[in-house]
This record gives sequence, C-alpha cells and structure tokens, in this order.
Amino acid sequence: MYDTIFQKQKVMRRVVYSLIPLFLMALYLYGWRVLAHTAVIFAAGILTEYIFERKRGKKVSEAVLVTCALFTLSLPPALPVWISVVGIVFAVAVVKEMYGGFGRNIFNPAIGGRLFIWIAFAAPFASAWMEAGGFGTGEAGIDLVTAATPLEQMQNGTLPDIWSLIIGTRAGSMGESSILLITIAGLYLVFTKTAQWRLVVSTILGALALSAGLYWAGVTDVAPHYAMLSGSIWFGAFYFATDPITAPNKKSAQWIYGILIGSISILVRVFTDFNAGLSFGVFVANVFSSLLDELMPAPRKKKAAKPAKTSAKPKEAAA
Amino acid sequence: MNAPDIGLFSLFFASIFTSNILLANFLGMCSFIAISKDLKSSNGLGLAVTVVLTVTGAANWLILHYILIPYDLIYLRFIIFILVIAAMVQILEMVIDRVSQKLYITLGIFLPLITVNCAILGVSLFIEIREYNFVQTVIYSLGSGLGWWLAIVALAAIRNKTEKTKTVPAGLQGSGLTMITIGLMALAFIGFSGMLSVQ
Repeated sequence: MYDTIFQKQKVMRRVVYSLIPLFLMALYLYGWRVLAHTAVIFAAGILTEYIFERKRGKKVSEAVLVTCALFTLSLPPALPVWISVVGIVFAVAVVKEMYGGFGRNIFNPAIGGRLFIWIAFAAPFASAWMEAGGFGTGEAGIDLVTAATPLEQMQNGTLPDIWSLIIGTRAGSMGESSILLITIAGLYLVFTKTAQWRLVVSTILGALALSAGLYWAGVTDVAPHYAMLSGSIWFGAFYFATDPITAPNKKSAQWIYGILIGSISILVRVFTDFNAGLSFGVFVANVFSSLLDELMPAPRKKKAAKPAKTSAKPKEAAA
Repeated sequence: MNAPDIGLFSLFFASIFTSNILLANFLGMCSFIAISKDLKSSNGLGLAVTVVLTVTGAANWLILHYILIPYDLIYLRFIIFILVIAAMVQILEMVIDRVSQKLYITLGIFLPLITVNCAILGVSLFIEIREYNFVQTVIYSLGSGLGWWLAIVALAAIRNKTEKTKTVPAGLQGSGLTMITIGLMALAFIGFSGMLSVQ
C-alpha cells in the first residue's frame, strides 16, 4: 500500500526521523493540538500532492512528508485547524506542484504556506500562542490562554529565563522552541550529510553578526545571545536554510544565501511590525537564490567535486 | 515647498528594497513579465530603465519646479512628463542601437515601450506628490531603477530554471507560472513593509 503511493527517498526519510524528537517535545508542550494539526496537515498535504502526481502518472515523493512536518512544527499551537489546512494546500499545490513537483520548486513550500496564512489570517495567528508545558493543559484549564512569545516579551522589556529558552519550555511555534533538541537533531543531519553545514553556519553567523551589531549600536536592547535563542532562527538554520532544492549549489553562493537569511530575519524582526522574521528571511533569500547561482563564478576544477555532490542530492533522492 | 525629512541613505535603501517599485508598488509589470525570459536581455532592460528613470526623474523635477509651478501650468504635468520620458527613450534607443545591436534586437518593441512603462511615470508622479527636494529626487529615482533592475534579474534567473521544467501543468507554462512567481516574490517582500518610510 505504502509503496504504491510513495516513492522512496532516503534523504527525506532521514529528515523526517530527525524531526520525531521535536514532535514528541511539541506533544509534551502543547498536547492534543499537536496531534490534531499533524493528522490533518499530513492528510491534506499528501492528498494534494497525490492529486497532482496522479495526473503525471508518478508517485508521491517522500519530500511532502518533510514539508508537512516542517509546516506543522512552524505553526503556533492554538491556530484553528482549518487555517493550517489552507496553508498546507497552498504550500503543496501552488508553491511546489505548480512548479513541476519535487526538485523543481523555487520557493520553500513549508515557508510559503506559513507566510500565506500568516498574512491572510493575521489576527488568528497573533492570538494563537499558548503557554507551554504539561501536555497542553498548562495553567490555562479548558479554555486556551494566549501567551507572549519570548520575542514579544523582549519587545516589552522583560527578559525570558535562558534555561527555558534552551530546553524549550516557552511559548512559540510548535517545534521551534527546544534549542537543545534542534541542535542534536541538526547535528545528526549535518553528520549524515543530509544538511549542508555551510548553510547552517552562514545563517547563524549572519543573524549573530547583525544582532550583535544592532545591540552594540544601541538600536535594540535585545542581547545577541537572547536574539539567537528565541524565535525560530535556530530551527530555521538547520531545517529551512538547508533545503537542498531551494538553496543555491555553488559554495560562494551558499555563504551569501545563508548570510542573507540570517540578516534579513533579524532586520525584519527588529524594524518591522512582524515580530518574527525567519520565514521572510528564507523566502527573500529564495527569491535571490537562483540569481546568486548565476552570478557567482563557476567553482574551479579541483573544487568542483563537492558542489557537484550536493547538487546531485535531489536527483539521487528522486531515483 | 517642504521636503519630507528622510535621510538620503534610508531613502535609497527603502526605494531599492522595502518599497520596491515592482514588488511593493506593482508598477512596470508588462515589460517585467515580457523581457524576463533570459538573464542577458533583462539585465540590459534593467540598465536602460535605471538610466531613463534617473534622468527623467531629475529632468521632470526641474521642469516641475522651474516651469510648471511658476507659470501655473501644473495641470499639464502628465503630458509634459510623458514628453520628457519619450524624448529620453528616443535618445537611449539610438545609443543602444549604436552600442549593442544584439541587445537592441532582443529588446525590440519593449525599448520604445519604456516610454509607457508605468514605473517611470509613476516615479515622476511620486516625486511630485511626496514633495521631494532635488537631491532626494535623484536618490529616489536611482534607487527605484536599481530596485526594478534587481527584481527583473532575480525573476529572469528564476525563469531560467522554471522554463526548462517539462512537468509544469500545461495551462501554467510561460507567463502563467511567471505571475505566480511574481506573487510569491511580492509575498516575500511584504516582510519589509513598515520598515522604512518613503514619504
């Protein structure tokens, strides 16, 4: 049954495995809402891809599982489930399948879906944050209480507890909170060569440099280590920046791409009305990723082996 | 006349990124879609638009403030602005014809059509409405031109990939998918909204 619907993709499967601890953490933090979102999003996402791929006579790629998982983890927990369905259908249908399916998309589908519903349904999004912990019962009782995310707290001048940031017991998107788990899962991906370390490092460097610069210039009072540990920079650096399909292939282009993501995330977070910028950072960098690949000089012969490997990844996965 | 109090650098930055003439104001769409098929000609058109924008922006400011306003002819501004733009484009066309025959042929009808490129008239009118002073005018028109240029080469690089894809649904191939791409690009640029003000 499974084999008739899905084509096997080893790389994508590793990403899904690495996300399991994050799902368990989210389950602990927010309880049944995570299950509800997961079930509905996976069903809608796979169905959408199935409808498109059946027309082409192909099987559903396992990459859609990654898209669904990342999309789920990037949502605020108390979001109405129908909104997340709109998001995942937009993500798979418009951002991915209309571009020709797996390996052809220009923009990251999960981010596209998230931005779409974030802008279309701004009000429900803003009030969908929950207090974390205790399998979603929290102190809220039956009715949900909206909680301020660390980013919102810092804009109001209170500093969150740094341990709660690292372990992840703080309000935020379902999967973005636990720095510790993300780092372990991310290192697994880097060491199995599923994720390109250059993209992770450059994203973190870009964000760190800009937030440190703004802090010392007196523009914001958020210290750089708080800026790095809150919001979704960490999650994005390991999971969204490293998407092998939307990232550029050349080494030098990858450095610029990562720095763009990191710095735009901080810029949007500090200077605009949006209080979290990573999704915009990734999306703007996606816009320029093909251009960066065109502009950067071709790598020299000796170094050509490595970028060729990374660019071969989606193909190998598709086979 | 009181010019808005905006730093020149932030005006420059804003006109390129945060209020990009294409992706935030949606001006100059027709040639944006038509000429973005390959990187080289879109690069040429971007350069042409930038030059025309900067020169006409400055020229129209001078005409507005030294001819139209003193003689109370402000109601003629649309015609006069378009005339200045048309003259500029004519000169540029001759230059490109001389310098690069190949670019001249690829741009084809779209070179004279820069005349009616809404981005250029739009910038001239924005300059009037927002009451920029001369230096701000030059910075703003140059920035808008560079923003247009950046957007069209980014789109051309993306289309370079998408046009090769055979699996795009038949009804969407070509400009259909380009429209979706532009929509997604604009979605990305929404992130910058409210960052810097231009007026």
